[in-house]
Formats: sequence, C-alpha cells, structure tokens
Amino acid sequence: MGLRGHRTATASGGQTVRFLVALIGPAHVAFPAHWIRGILTLVEAGPADLLTWGDISYERTDLAGRLTIAPEIPTTDTRIILYSNDQRFRSFMVDGVLGLVDVERMQIQALPPQFRGGERVRLLGFFADTAYIALIANPFWVLELPPPKNVLDAFVLQTPERRGGERDARPRLPSIALEDAVSSSAHVK
Amino acid sequence: MLRAQLRRQAQVGTKSTAEARMQGLVVFSVAGHRLAVRTDEIGGVMPWPGATVVLTSDTPFVTSLVRQDQRCLPVFDLAARFSRIMHENEPLCLIVNHVDGPLAICIDSQVPSLHMVPRSAMHYCVGNDPDIAGTCVAGDEELPIINLTTLGSHRSVQ
Repeated sequence: MGLRGHRTATASGGQTVRFLVALIGPAHVAFPAHWIRGILTLVEAGPADLLTWGDISYERTDLAGRLTIAPEIPTTDTRIILYSNDQRFRSFMVDGVLGLVDVERMQIQALPPQFRGGERVRLLGFFADTAYIALIANPFWVLELPPPKNVLDAFVLQTPERRGGERDARPRLPSIALEDAVSSSAHVK
Repeated sequence: MLRAQLRRQAQVGTKSTAEARMQGLVVFSVAGHRLAVRTDEIGGVMPWPGATVVLTSDTPFVTSLVRQDQRCLPVFDLAARFSRIMHENEPLCLIVNHVDGPLAICIDSQVPSLHMVPRSAMHYCVGNDPDIAGTCVAGDEELPIINLTTLGSHRSVQ
C-alpha cells in the first residue's frame, strides 16, 4: 500500500492484530493500533499536562515510568501518542515510532509462566520480528482500565473466511489519518 | 545354553545395578561460582544467543527474554541470584528443563563437564535455600547441587 513504516509480519492468511511499534528506551513496545488516535511531535503536543487535540483532551501519563524503563533524552524522533477507547483518553511519550505492523494471531506469544509478577498485567505478551522482539503493552493497563479476559481478541482485524451474508463486525482502524501520521513519523533504527 | 543365558543376565543385572548407584551430574560455573546439577535437568548448552530483551519484570531474577533458534526463552539471572556479576565476553547458554517450560541461564564460558558420581557421594539436605538440594563430591570438589527445574518457583512475587 506504499505506506512507509507499515508492513505485514505474516506470510499466510488468518486472524491478525495491527500494532504500532514504538521505542521506549531500549525496548520495542507494541500497542494495539485500534486505539491510537494520533501521533504528534513534541512541538505539536506542547508542554501542557492536558493535551487537547481535535477538541478532545488527553491526560498525559508517564508510560516509560510506569513500565520502569528509563526513557531517552527527547530528540527529533520523540513522539507523543494519543491513545483512547473513546471512554478514557491518555497521551504518552515514546522515543521513536517504527511503524504499523500486522501480526498473525498465532505469532503472538503469551509471557512464559516464569514471569509471575506485575509484568503480566502490563504486558499481553510479545512477538518476534527478524530484527527485534516487541513487547505488547496491555492497552487497558495503558488507559488505566480494568482488563477483560482475552484482551487481544478485541483487536483482531481479519478472519480468513466468512460465510455469505455474515456481517463484518471487526474493529477498524480509526482513520487513514493514523497511517498518514505513522508514515510521517516512522523511522528505522 | 540356559546357563550361559543366566550368566549374561547376571552380568547385565550387575551393570544396571552399578549404573543405578551412579548419578550423572553437570558441573558448571556462573560468575565463578561452581555448581552441580542433575543431567536430566539440562536441555542443552550452546553459545549465548545474543542480546536480551529486558521486561522490567517484578519476578525476582526473571527479567528478560532471549531469542534461541525459532523461540524466545525467559532468562533467569543466576549470577544475580548469587549476588554476583557476570564478566564474560563469550558466555554460554544453559537450557534448563524447568517445570514451567524451557528457561535460559547465562553461564561462564568454561564448558560444563559431565561427571558420573556415586549416589553415596551426594548429600541431600533441606536447608534454608530451596534452590539448593544439597552437596556432592564431583572430581576433587565439593559442590552445591542446584535445583534448576524449580528455580525461582519458591519465591514470592511483589
């Protein structure tokens, strides 16, 4: 589709989840893309604690701090992510945006059971790309909402086959504006 | 014919009894700390695969993932468990048959050695440390026997 920073990490059809992959410190963190409302530069976001964009106010949250990851010093790659499920609105800083990636559901792995602490709440699991391993942030935890069971099922984008007449109730990306934002923000480290 | 068969069976029986009295142990070191582990607790030894992905985990000593072949394994920081720091340039990766699934441990570059030890040389004891099963004499050394299959599972998590 000619979108820089958007690619598919799957070879075959099947259920996929679209993620925005961002850098926070040394970690690649993936956010289910369906709740991303925008990607801003530091200049666009401004310094206020309550970030207003498109008549909607997004409360800032120190996601790096909550993940106990030391962030990098802000650079021209630093971005502010606007994240919302239309009930709760949060914005947070990332050190860079790699792009959108569609990941087959089967390639998403849960955290191994040896991880037994709060990381199981913060992270839904991970997926391995050829160049990196991305940790999947729990979008409900990001928005400080109680998580339902089977969180990722709410973000599945595609099914391989549907019977005739069956309505497509799959969630859609909020708008093409997200892809445009990623296109202008994505960089490769 | 029957007598020869009986003699052969007796020899096999003697050999298997002797084997039953021996225990296979792998001796390895972590940041210079030498340990012994039963061979059936080890899934393999290979060069350390490379960079780890840190999760900033709350689980003591289980803080990262490492890519190994087609899979990603949790890493147990055994050096930190013994309050030591690894200074190896080319460490090895010990794959553990942990009760919760395969687990990777970064160990010293000195290749682990295999020892067949008489069971009489193994002294199991219940101490304060649930990760240590007891001690054994392997070669000329008396070494702690570590329970790798249950490593960390006794520890409470915040």
